[in-house]
This record gives sequence, structure tokens and C-alpha cells, in this order.
Amino acid sequence: MKKTWTVARKDLLILLRDKGSLFWVVGFPLLMGLLLGAIFSGTGRPMTGMQVAAVDEDQTEFSKTFLARLDSLTAVTITTTSRDSAFQLVRTGKRAACVILRKGFGETGGVFGDSAMIEIGIDPARQTEAGYLQGMLAQTAFALLQERYFSSQGIKRELHQLMQDSHAWGGLDSTQKGFATGFLSNLAAFMESTEPDTAASAGTGKTKELMPIAVTAVTDDRARPRSGFEIFFPAALLWALIGAAATFGVSLVKERTAGTFLRLRIAPIQRAHILAGKGLACFITCLSVCALLLLIGHVILGVRVADFGIIVLAMAASSLSFVGIMMFISVLGKSEEAVAGAAWGILLVCSMIGGGMVPSIFMPGWMRAIGSISPVKWGILSFEGGIWRNFTLAEMMLPVGVLLSIGVVGYTVGVIILTRADR
Amino acid sequence: MIRAENLRKQYDRLVAVDGLSFHVDRGEIFGLLGPNGAGKTTTINMLVGILKPDGGSVNINGADDPTRANVRQSIGYAPQSIAIYDRLTASENLEFFGKLYGITGRRSKERIAWALEFGGLKDTGKKLAGAFSGGMKRRLNLAAALIHDPPILMLDEPTVGVDPQSRNLIFDGIEGLKRQGKTIIYTTHYMEEAQRLCDRVAIIDHGKILALDGIEALIRGHGGSSVIEAELERVPDDASHLPGTLDGRRLRIVTPRPLEELAALGRLNLQFAELRIDRPNLETVFLNLTGRSLRD
Repeated sequence: MKKTWTVARKDLLILLRDKGSLFWVVGFPLLMGLLLGAIFSGTGRPMTGMQVAAVDEDQTEFSKTFLARLDSLTAVTITTTSRDSAFQLVRTGKRAACVILRKGFGETGGVFGDSAMIEIGIDPARQTEAGYLQGMLAQTAFALLQERYFSSQGIKRELHQLMQDSHAWGGLDSTQKGFATGFLSNLAAFMESTEPDTAASAGTGKTKELMPIAVTAVTDDRARPRSGFEIFFPAALLWALIGAAATFGVSLVKERTAGTFLRLRIAPIQRAHILAGKGLACFITCLSVCALLLLIGHVILGVRVADFGIIVLAMAASSLSFVGIMMFISVLGKSEEAVAGAAWGILLVCSMIGGGMVPSIFMPGWMRAIGSISPVKWGILSFEGGIWRNFTLAEMMLPVGVLLSIGVVGYTVGVIILTRADR
Repeated sequence: MIRAENLRKQYDRLVAVDGLSFHVDRGEIFGLLGPNGAGKTTTINMLVGILKPDGGSVNINGADDPTRANVRQSIGYAPQSIAIYDRLTASENLEFFGKLYGITGRRSKERIAWALEFGGLKDTGKKLAGAFSGGMKRRLNLAAALIHDPPILMLDEPTVGVDPQSRNLIFDGIEGLKRQGKTIIYTTHYMEEAQRLCDRVAIIDHGKILALDGIEALIRGHGGSSVIEAELERVPDDASHLPGTLDGRRLRIVTPRPLEELAALGRLNLQFAELRIDRPNLETVFLNLTGRSLRD
């Protein structure tokens, strides 16, 4: 252990004196956190495929049709579930929002009445999309109402029904009935002569104002993000880990090309200790930079830590994962240039698909699915769990498990390739 | 002290080392002389246990496994590449490598001071190695191999790319180490270095030892004749009794006994405008053995 620490201490000292590497490990992630936080603190709306959990508490024909119509929109993908499950899905970041159709939704058409018949639960990280979702809900509700009451076909259907039921009208004499049925016949004839959508278009003016929707942020009361910085700081932390992994991966290949690795191997120290020393230095760097960035975020930008134990777990798991990744990328080439190119190429793609550059909500569904192979996605989720999602230990198990698995696989593959290359 | 028996190493179709056998006695400087790609570094790497031989055996100080910690503790290795950290100072480099060999505390300070002195870096110990000249880096590279005071040294082309001043400093240092009784394996493709420093030399090419002996014995055995070249002030009227061949006023004599020939010329009362003796050396030994120059 003493010799492992000797190797690690040397690497940390070298990193501290390498201003270029320090920028990528500390400066760049901080810059990303500031930029992303500033950009996304404002408004934004998803481009495609918002993942939404839906709860049908009304269970009427209208509510079922409503959800089916909502699901048919390309901008929304619906998963029907229970209320508890829906909130859990949003809280754990698996869905951007949940839509709950309350009892009585079918009677009011979701539009009329004083109390909200539709409830939206939104992931606070995606608060800006609540309005967008509201708009889509209103569009769907009024499209159904138009078909029912305001379209020419709908009105004609209602007129014919009225004329058929005219014999049952009470309180009218035959003259009045004749006048009324005549009026209805003329009106039906007039409707026949109009364009199909003319009548419908008249009913779309004040849709949103008519439709009360209750919007709530789905988090524990104890932790709720207060700013874009708080939401996007996890991505900044992942950039720090990417920078550290790339820096140490390149430094390992540099040791091999410069001959210092050879010198270390001739010393009375096992190869495992040398590599462990490099890994330890990378791990300490990852932890330190995460702690430093969180401190900066906390003091300057107001980023809080909801659960210290969870954030430590997230930092440890993410750091270990990126130590493994560092070991893997160090064997991707035989020169510093080759490894640096491959490392940044791979890690940038991981960041891109994992939500490190653009929030995953802006991605199409297939890309979000692919993003699950990226350690960046799981790293961000684990940090969010500690910063504001208020994950329990059980909820942390999935991201932590994935991160550790990636780390173990990366480290093992790296060491095997390195050992073979040195034979 | 060091024994290699029938060492063999092959990379795909390339046979890098092909049945090398030699031994090095305690306190001896043993040279591996050969052109680039001859198999010198591969041989050293097998001796220190970095490379596993495909065949043959290595024995260092009675131990068959050079990867054992106590064997490695007894070896100092200066690789051909400059294997130091640019972003550490000279002292920090030496301290780091010393720690790997268990050199700490007061002993570390003493050894660092000695190594800096050895490398002529006493006044630059606190400077970053990256700011050093090529010669200074070479000297630090060598000093780092000595930080733990090993009885065995393996120096792989320790003077490549250095200025004459640094080269002489390194030579003086190595001669000093020999006086201390260190056992040294020294690889080079500079025959002047081998000739100055080594007690015995193995001339290797294409992974094989072509000849192995002391310097003089090698030259005697494989160097061929000396060449005396003289430009005469005046060609004698009767030139038929002159040895060698005469071309105008230029006389050329090829002989295995140059001193005897010079004495004979002296007796002829000739006046020389210029006189030169080219004695065979390790370069001519290599040329005679392979048909190529060492620097080809």
C-alpha cells in the first residue's frame, strides 16, 4: 500500500503542476456547469417524445379516448400506470412528467368546471416543459370536444338527433313544434352547405383559459432544485470525471512511451501496485474535483446537497467507474496522441448520449435508450439523487450498480490488454 | 554474478535474440556492442525480468528469477529512453525512485545528495527536470538508476544524444562506479565507449553473439592488419626496397606488426611530410565480422 501511495502521490503532484490538464479536470467542467445552468435556467421545450406516465382515475370512455389521443401525438409517449407508480417514475427521473385524469374528467370533458380535472406531476429538472405539456393536454381535450360538439359532423349529428326526438318535446303546441323543427331542418340544410371545418375553427380561441390544470413538482418536500445551476451541476461533475479519466489515461500511456513505466516495473514493486497507484491518483482526483466543484457550486451558485451520505456514495461510485474507464482508454492506442484522441472521442459520445451536453429530454426516444449504456447518464442520475432528487439508498442501488459494473469491466479489460502488450 | 544461457526471444517472425550465452563477473564492465536493432535492449529486458524469454535462462546473483523483489533490489537500470518525470524536480525524481526501493528519511537525503553530485546536478536539484538540457536529463536518468546503491547496473545506451561534456562526465562516473566494485552491463553502438569502458565486449548482430572477448583479444583476433600511410618529402632514387605500395609520394603499408614496420622505415633515413597509423579497432572488428559498419 505504501508503494501504491508513492506512485499515486507522484501522479497527483504532476497533475497539480500541469496547468493544461488541470483546466480539463477543473476549469472546463466548472465552465460547463455555469453555461448549462445559465442557458437552461430560462425557457425551453422538448423537441420530441416527452416520456409521460399517465393515470386514469376516471375510467370513462372519454378519459380512455383522451389518453389514446394524447399518446398518438409524436411529442408525447404515454405509459399508463397507478398514481403512486407514476409519481415514483417521475421522482426517479424515469419519466419527465405524469398526467392524472381525476374522477369526473369525462363529465366535464376536462375543460369545464371550477376544479382541475387534470393534474400534472413534473420532474423539477424539466419544469420548463410543464407549460409545453399543458398545451398538448389542452390541444387533445379540445380536439375531442370539437369532434363532439363543434365540428359540422358533430353538429349535424346533434341536429338530427333533436329532430328525431321532437315528438317527445313537452310544453309546445303543434305550431311551435313545426316552427322549431322547420328551424332545425333549415339549420341542418345550412350546415350541409358549409365547409366541414368552418364551424370547428370557431371553437378554438380560448382553449387554455377554459381548462384548469393542477401542476405540481414531483419531489420530496425536503429537496427541490431551486435553479438551473442546481439541476445542471451533476453534468458539470461528470465533465470533471471525464477530464480526470482522459488526463490519467493519457498519462499512463505517456509513462509507457517515455520509459518511466518500464523503470517502475523494474523496481521491486508489482505491476498491480503500479496500476493501483495510477488508479488511486485518478480516484483521489475525481473525488477532490467533485468536492471542489460542489463547494464552488454551493458557495457561489447556491447548489445544495440534499443528502450528504448519498452524494458521497454517488461521488465514490462515479469516481470508481471513471477509474475503470481511465484504465480502459489508456490501452486504446500506443501513443499519447492516439489515446487522447480515442479517449475524448469516446467520452464525448458518452457525454452526448448520456445527457452531459444536452439534457436527455431533448433527445429522441431511441437515443435516450442508447444513453443507458453511457456511464455519464448513471453518474448524472446518482448525483441528482444526492443533490435534489433525495434518493433513498435503495434507489441509489441501480445507478451505483451500473457505475461500479462499468468501472470493474473497464479496469479489468484495461489491465488484461496492458499485460498482454508488455509481454 | 550474472549468467545468461541460450537466451531466445522472438516477435512473430522476427528473432530478436537468438541463443545468447554469456556471463559477467563481479566488478566487471561487460559491453554489449552492436548496431541498432541487434537485440541489445531485448537482452537487457530479459535479464531484468521485464520480458520473459522464449527459451534459455537467466541467473543473477544465484537467483533464477529476476522478477523477485530481492533480485530487483540489487539491480539499477537506466533505460535507453530518458525515463524521468519532467514535472518533478531532479530531487523529487530521485526521491520518488528511491522510495520504490525503500529509501526514505535521512538515507534518502544522503542518497539524493550523492546522486545529484554524481550527475553533476548539485546546483540544479530543485529545478524541474523538464527545464534540463538533453545532457542533464541523461545524467539524471543515470543517477536515478543509482539512487538505491545497487551492486549491479544495467545501462542501456546511456550516452545517446548527449553533448561531449555530458558524455565525459558520464564516462568518469561509470569509471568511478567500477572502482567501487559495481558490476555493469553496458550496451552501446559507439565502439569508442566500449573500448574506453569495457573489460570484455560481446559483439552482437541479429540477436547473435559474433564474438566475445577482451578488447585487445577481439582486435587481435578479428581486427585484421594496421595500415601505415606516409607522405614522403622526397622519393628515393631506388624505391624498389620500400615496403608496401608507393603511389607518387604516398606510401601505404598494410601490416599486422606496425611498430616493427615503423622501425624499419626509420632505418631507411626517409623524410616524412605526413605519417599516420590506422590501427584496427572494434569498428573494424565489426566490419570484418559482418561486412557492415556499426552505424549502418
